[in-house]
Amino acid sequence: MMLARAAERVYWTGRYLERAENTARVVQQYSQLLLDLPDEVGVGWDELVRIFGASGAFTARSGESDEAAVFRFLVSDPDSPSSLATSIRMARENIRNTRDLLPQESWESVNELSHFARHNLAATTDSEDRFEVLSECIGRCLQIDGILVGTMSHGAPYHFLRLGQCLERADMTSRIVDVGAAYVRLDPDMVERFGSVLGTNVLKSVSGFQMYRQYCQPQVEGRRVVEFLVRDEQFPRAIACCLDRARRACRKLPKGQAPLASLEGVAASLAAGPDDELTAEDVPVIMDRIQKQLDEVHRAVAKTWFLPGGGEQ
Amino acid sequence: MSFSGQTYDSGVFFDELIDGEGNPRPHAAALMDYFRGLRPEDLFERQRAVDRTISDMGISFTVYSEGDNIDRAWPLDLIPRAMPGAEWDHIERGLVQRVRALNLFIDDLYNDRRVIADKIVPAEIIDSSRNYLAPCRGVSPKHRVWAHVTGTDLVRGGDGTVYVLEDNLRVPSGVSYMLENRTVIKRVFPSLFRNLSIRPVAEYPTRLSEMLNSIAPDHTAGRKPEVVVLTPGIFNSAYFEHSFLARTMGAELVEGGDLFVDDDDFVFMRTIEGPQRVDVIYRRIDDTFMDPEAFRADSMLGVPGLMRAWRAGHVAIANAPGSGVADDKVVYSYVPEIIRYYLDEDAILPNVPTWRCSDPDHLAHVLATLPELVVKPANESGGYGMLIGPRASKAEHEQFRALLKADPRNYIAQPTLDLSTAPTLCDDGVEPRHLDLRPFILQGSGVSVTAGGLTRVAMRKGSLVVNSSQGGGSKDTWIVESSK
Repeated sequence: MMLARAAERVYWTGRYLERAENTARVVQQYSQLLLDLPDEVGVGWDELVRIFGASGAFTARSGESDEAAVFRFLVSDPDSPSSLATSIRMARENIRNTRDLLPQESWESVNELSHFARHNLAATTDSEDRFEVLSECIGRCLQIDGILVGTMSHGAPYHFLRLGQCLERADMTSRIVDVGAAYVRLDPDMVERFGSVLGTNVLKSVSGFQMYRQYCQPQVEGRRVVEFLVRDEQFPRAIACCLDRARRACRKLPKGQAPLASLEGVAASLAAGPDDELTAEDVPVIMDRIQKQLDEVHRAVAKTWFLPGGGEQ
Repeated sequence: MSFSGQTYDSGVFFDELIDGEGNPRPHAAALMDYFRGLRPEDLFERQRAVDRTISDMGISFTVYSEGDNIDRAWPLDLIPRAMPGAEWDHIERGLVQRVRALNLFIDDLYNDRRVIADKIVPAEIIDSSRNYLAPCRGVSPKHRVWAHVTGTDLVRGGDGTVYVLEDNLRVPSGVSYMLENRTVIKRVFPSLFRNLSIRPVAEYPTRLSEMLNSIAPDHTAGRKPEVVVLTPGIFNSAYFEHSFLARTMGAELVEGGDLFVDDDDFVFMRTIEGPQRVDVIYRRIDDTFMDPEAFRADSMLGVPGLMRAWRAGHVAIANAPGSGVADDKVVYSYVPEIIRYYLDEDAILPNVPTWRCSDPDHLAHVLATLPELVVKPANESGGYGMLIGPRASKAEHEQFRALLKADPRNYIAQPTLDLSTAPTLCDDGVEPRHLDLRPFILQGSGVSVTAGGLTRVAMRKGSLVVNSSQGGGSKDTWIVESSK
């Protein structure tokens, strides 16, 4: 038996830990990508903000849209809702609120992560240590995830944690695919010259490069990359795989019919397409639909299990 | 006596570890050998290791009005405070005696009031106490126990006598820090524990859980009672402890909004599977915030109808509402008589001599000698609203004289105590600092006492204020078994 309030906080712990890890991954890979592309490709720092769906908030917060402003907004600014610093703080707050349910070591590790972030994130704006600092954050997030997976009983708290994690991960992958596909569509010339660089980076931002290579194609081809990240059922960051794991979590929880039905709806969207093959034109439409449907899943989860009147924690 | 070549002298004060000749007391000999063998840089290095462990373990306490920075690392001095086992056995007997008598007293006050009829305690003291709660009359909880968890404050005077300073029968806090202090010191100084026999403290959560199960309503017989810890929430200064105790007992940690009382006066919590019956509530919120129906209508923290459920015997509440009546500092001054009345025994642990300002002769004495006395309001805790005569200005003396004359019932006065000291690592090295001790006593079907308790230290030189909210620190507390 689990308190409705506790279920909500554990769910958000899963979401914020995943968001923190993804933010660090995407920012790190994007920094590497820009080193590979000449200016004429027209890929700038503000595109990074677009991945996070935060262009409006960014313009309102920062006058500039240069590298330093983007880094502050997405990494170090404790007041930016989209920053890595904020995700880490929220993950810690939620773990702090549910310490009676989670392993003690996860609390110690999130404290260490939070100390590390407080002392090092500001330096990433213009430092050579950027890559290492972000790697360290990713590693520490994975360490916490490992503690949770390795030591938590597979009861209700565990399933809420997984549910939050899978929904967040599916959402982030859909955003990465959306932005990546936008370049593939841009200009046949550019695609000819840089398509493989872009595709490689998109894959690397979800640590999917090796798995793609092993299970799909020797060549990195835009369309195949999208196919892999959306429909693969074995790669843990592919949307289809995330949805499958979210469904499994819902089935283990009491009274999960409504969220489950809502998840089936998202899965149906993935299968859409006339010849069952995704085209570059389809991608933005489908990704947009998936993001809206994931929001609906979240609302169904909140309505089914959380305290009435609760908000984001 | 010296540490790293620096002289250590506690002066006129009784030192817990060093005797008047400057030699380690027998129970502290091994401890002092170890610390005197460290160079100054080693001492500071070890203190940093202690601080780091505390930070990594997330041991914190919360201070109000600090904006976003609500968490502060818990301050722990690296040098433990030690007491001999034989002395502790005596203190433990005294605490058990005191808590048993106080529970009989509270039960009597809300029922037959024999203690008043027999002229042991005057009726007006009880009836004017704001902790005497009318809705509790006629209730007699299981085992006739009201104060299930007590955190008695003990101090040692200049002559070495241990006195009871306060009883703390409402929602005493600090036990989680006692437990965490031991965990940290064991991590940082494993070798110290190898050669000494120190009584363990770790079984407290088990004892607390047993006690809470022992007070479950009779209708739960044959099944495991559902026990919860009720917290005001994350912004409470003791939230760390609420969460710690729930976790270590395997009980749910709930807030008021998680609970509700149904039309049949039973208590439920809202879970992902629907409402679930609750049998025992270890509450960590004040009496008058518990039920907006019975007490403060403006309380957002409580559960409407909780008093109805408790009075009907459908739920046990620890500590029972209304226990605080025995926490009044005027009532405190009657405790030796209360022990004799209910148990027919002399008090094993003495009270600090106390003048009741409600008594005209006492008041006259207090007004005349105010600069030498400590004056305390009857119902505050945490060191608020006190006057420490010798440290106060003439203007403050005058201000308190006016307060005492206007509301004598609400004040008591005590002599300024020469609190004992122990070696403590300060900015300039090891120096004596004043301290007290808060053991925790559990009473349900039986009574148990922690081995030692939480030692609090006044970190500022000469200061007697040990509260962590006012810059106090803490020490691990060792009850050392004497070698045979």
